[in-house]
Amino acid sequence: MANKDTILQVKNLKVSFRTTGGTVKAVRDVSFDLERGKTLAIVGESGSGKSVTSKAILGILAGNSIIEGGEILYDGRDLLKITEEEMCDIRGNRISMIFQDPLSSLNPIVKIGRQITEAMLLKDKGNRRAARKDFNTMLAEIRTNCTAALGQGEAARVAEMTKTFDDFNIEGIKMENSYNTARAASEGFLADAEDFLFLAEKKQRLDVKANLATMEGKLKQVKDEFFTHGYDDKLWAAYSALKSAASGAKAVKEGEMVPENIRKAVSDAEALVKELQGRTVPDFFRIGYYKMKNPGADLHSQSVEELNASCLTYLDDNFMKEFLAMEEKGTRYSFDTALEKKKKVVESLKAARPFFESAELTRSSGKKRAGELAKEVEGSIDRLEIRKDSMAYTFGFAMNDAIDRYFNAEKKNPKEEARFARQSAKREALIARGKTVDWKVVPKLVYDLDELKANITGTIDAMVAHYEDYIAKADTVDFSARSVELVDYLKERASQVVYKVTRSMAHEKAIQLMEEVGIPEPRIRYNQYPFEFSGGMRQRIVIAIALAANPDILICDEPTTALDVTIQAQILELINKLKAERNLSVIFITHDLGVVANMADEIAVMYAGKLVEYGTADEVFYDPRHPYTWALLASMPDLDTTEKLDAIPGTPPNMIYPPKGDAFAARNKYAMQIDFEEQPPEFAVSDTHWAATWLLHPNAPKVEPPKIITDRIARMLKKSGGEA
Amino acid sequence: MGRPDNENGEVLLRVENLCQYFKSGSYENKAVDNVSFDIKKGEVFGLVGESGCGKTTTGRSIIKIYDITSGSIYFKGQRICAGTRSYRDAIKAAKKELSELKGGNEARRKELEAEIEKNKEEIKKAKFDHKNSDKLYAAEQVKKVKAEYEPKLEKATGEEKAKLQKEYKDALRVAKNTRLITQIQMIFQDPIASLNPRMTVREIISEGMVINGIRDKEYIDKKVYDILETVGLVREHAGRYPHEFSGGQRQRIGIARSVVMEPELLIADEPVSALDVSIQAQVINLLNDLRDQLGLTILFIAHDLSVVKYFSDRIGVMYYGNMVELATSEELFRHPIHPYTRSLLSAIPLPDPRSEKKRVRITYNALAAHDYSVDKPSLREIIPGHFVHCNDAEEAAYRKEFNL
Repeated sequence: MANKDTILQVKNLKVSFRTTGGTVKAVRDVSFDLERGKTLAIVGESGSGKSVTSKAILGILAGNSIIEGGEILYDGRDLLKITEEEMCDIRGNRISMIFQDPLSSLNPIVKIGRQITEAMLLKDKGNRRAARKDFNTMLAEIRTNCTAALGQGEAARVAEMTKTFDDFNIEGIKMENSYNTARAASEGFLADAEDFLFLAEKKQRLDVKANLATMEGKLKQVKDEFFTHGYDDKLWAAYSALKSAASGAKAVKEGEMVPENIRKAVSDAEALVKELQGRTVPDFFRIGYYKMKNPGADLHSQSVEELNASCLTYLDDNFMKEFLAMEEKGTRYSFDTALEKKKKVVESLKAARPFFESAELTRSSGKKRAGELAKEVEGSIDRLEIRKDSMAYTFGFAMNDAIDRYFNAEKKNPKEEARFARQSAKREALIARGKTVDWKVVPKLVYDLDELKANITGTIDAMVAHYEDYIAKADTVDFSARSVELVDYLKERASQVVYKVTRSMAHEKAIQLMEEVGIPEPRIRYNQYPFEFSGGMRQRIVIAIALAANPDILICDEPTTALDVTIQAQILELINKLKAERNLSVIFITHDLGVVANMADEIAVMYAGKLVEYGTADEVFYDPRHPYTWALLASMPDLDTTEKLDAIPGTPPNMIYPPKGDAFAARNKYAMQIDFEEQPPEFAVSDTHWAATWLLHPNAPKVEPPKIITDRIARMLKKSGGEA
Repeated sequence: MGRPDNENGEVLLRVENLCQYFKSGSYENKAVDNVSFDIKKGEVFGLVGESGCGKTTTGRSIIKIYDITSGSIYFKGQRICAGTRSYRDAIKAAKKELSELKGGNEARRKELEAEIEKNKEEIKKAKFDHKNSDKLYAAEQVKKVKAEYEPKLEKATGEEKAKLQKEYKDALRVAKNTRLITQIQMIFQDPIASLNPRMTVREIISEGMVINGIRDKEYIDKKVYDILETVGLVREHAGRYPHEFSGGQRQRIGIARSVVMEPELLIADEPVSALDVSIQAQVINLLNDLRDQLGLTILFIAHDLSVVKYFSDRIGVMYYGNMVELATSEELFRHPIHPYTRSLLSAIPLPDPRSEKKRVRITYNALAAHDYSVDKPSLREIIPGHFVHCNDAEEAAYRKEFNL
């Protein structure tokens, strides 16, 4: 669906585990889309493959896992096929995870503070390098596209303008860099000062002299043309006050008060620095241009607000309007050429389809043809699009993979058949001789060749459909908005280049995060070890760590299962709040349906490695269709339940030998004969709601959900005053 | 479900002013502070509260895993646990006053000395009860057995007498080993950690009986098989090891282990928290069945309020070592009085997206909600059978709220 803003796509994921007993098929053909800013809840019993799915997304499956097929598309990449280095870039940084067991996911011998700041500090350098690279490649793309759009005659002007853009960005970055360094130092000072005052107030043991010395050192570094403009004298006074206070200072013991004059000097300096931080941040992007054009101009003759305003008009009048106009032409050109190419690609894909269906397809010829197609597809990608077209980027991989799988299966199937025949014959011979045989023949693992072949053509079909959709929507694109977006993107990248995380900034951020997740007295807690925290507090720390790197996608693997109601409610509210603030996309894994009612936009019910029902929260809760969903809902008591609970009898099936038909049939009291024989397809209930159960087949008998559920739904609907 | 009449029920367990402090470095952690409640025979008493509020500690103190700091616990009328802290404090206070008296006021001096003596006596008694409750009970049992067999033995002759003598010997040994505390059994939260991985299910279940002096192998096997079937497992499982079972089955083994001792009181410490929803329902149904079959009394400790509501007759809400509210479950959910209970009830997630979106969680801050600087709070009965931890001013306010 192109109208959805899909951030992550899981397609036909299949994961199994090699164990001594055989191959456990943990995830069998799971597909779903995750939209930006939405929550998808995956619900099911333990062993249904929920956690395996989420771990596959992060690439942290156990060593004995085999990914048998499928794709996980994110940001133009297939997460199942990228290298570990690339994965490192994404894991924790763009996609992060809250684990189920807080005790085992924290390092017991490292202090909490260090564990929270670790990710921020580690990822810092890589982030800056990546931002610089993105900036440069995007600017180069703009240059080539604009040159092509405006013709060779304008090439010089385009080159000059992009160079100007780069140059004044650098000018701005330089100023911003210095500003940020001073600001970071001020933040470091603030962190120390707050710690000091906090501990002093609590009458803790304090080495006053050493503390004051570090604070002095940091305060000295708070110096920048913009950041401290007009405050130099006051800062110097504060600095001297600190220094003189420090000269007579002694260490204090627990229960003693730090002398009044020292506390006053520190709190004065703190107030001053806070005032500095509260001032308007100069718009370096625009000031950079002004400074570059008017070297030697006095930037401080006016206030920062006025400077920001005047530079805004200055830049717009002299450069930006022209640049944007040029850029718009560039993006239009790029889009149009890409569109033309896409149309061609669709043709050639359609033309190539019969070849992949035909019997003359061999591994080498197929790969050659697929390679050509992939090259064509890659050529047709609009490089100026900020949101990457994951499907086009990974088309080559997907084709190669599908072809490999087909030919591997073709080669392996006869061998597997032979092995099975051999072993069964041996077993039968032994039985015939009257011996007791204590081993079973491992069932044969034969791939369906037709299905695998259909996979190859399916990949092509999906690509064609995707491009046709794209072509159909081509008229609705707003190019001026797009070019503005592009400039914003470049600006953001440029500021990321200079955004350096220092140890003290990370400390301050960590404390802020700890406060955000509701840990009292974070300054004391910062230096404690995990064993000093209760279960709920530990879970909060795990959440703080997951949020430290500001991810796009947050995967929560049963984050509240070990917690009690009040803390559970707090943590759910916290995740909801963060989701709204940061436009996070959340995958929420749980077995407790009550928990997800407030969280989820969409719910996927999973059983034995397959999705059995999928729909919006309202649909799944008020109109459940799959017997497994009924069973899940019926087995939990709510506040009005008095009758005996409907427990699901038995346990989930052994996934070494997955059942032939519907996996839930053996525990399902509504099971029909066909449930044991054939897997049900996905029957659509509405546009957004489907369930995989034969009960929805038009020929199936009408079955009502259990009374406990119908009663509850009626009660809930009555309470909210709506209808189903 | 045939729930017994709780109004006039016989009190099985009485907890009086239970305090359980833990030393942690230089200060004392008051895990449970002055908690009192009764559990009547045949009822399910739910104990809820957030983690770290002392509900598990209360359970563990009752079963004597810890030596309690102060207060008493009576089981079937016999004091099984007693702490001495409150008496010691009384003696200290009296001695201090005595030293400050310095002559004069002879009457007061006498009074104080008498009080010190009295408290010393109390400490002795408490120590004796705490140590010897099991022995006392065993002596009683031995007396009963003797009373039962001796007249029979006198009458019997020949072969019959020899047989009877053997029976008598066995019964006497069992009676000597009987301990009152075995009639209280516990189910632990984590079914994986609470079963010894190196023992078979048979060994795990029969361990209690073996310790109690039962040596009849056939009898033990029969008991083990019976109990396995009662909890929904099969005989063949007796020879297996815990790792061969799923989480729900392991919890069933834990239940079998405690129920096989034929306890009167079962302390279920979060028996379903670590389990999947579907298995939770299985275990809750099982506990409900057992309760009907065996007439068990259950102290049910949990933090999942929907489950507690579903399962319990009366509920006690704990907050930071204190019992803040105690009422029947219907009453508690209909009229929560204490602000902490209200906040707790407002946090329950329900499988209803529309009402969930509208749900407003009430936050509770103990420091902001109460002013106990002058007027000290205690557990008071606001509505008959409904107790709330409050002081005079709050009591008046709560009463006004319900027009009493």
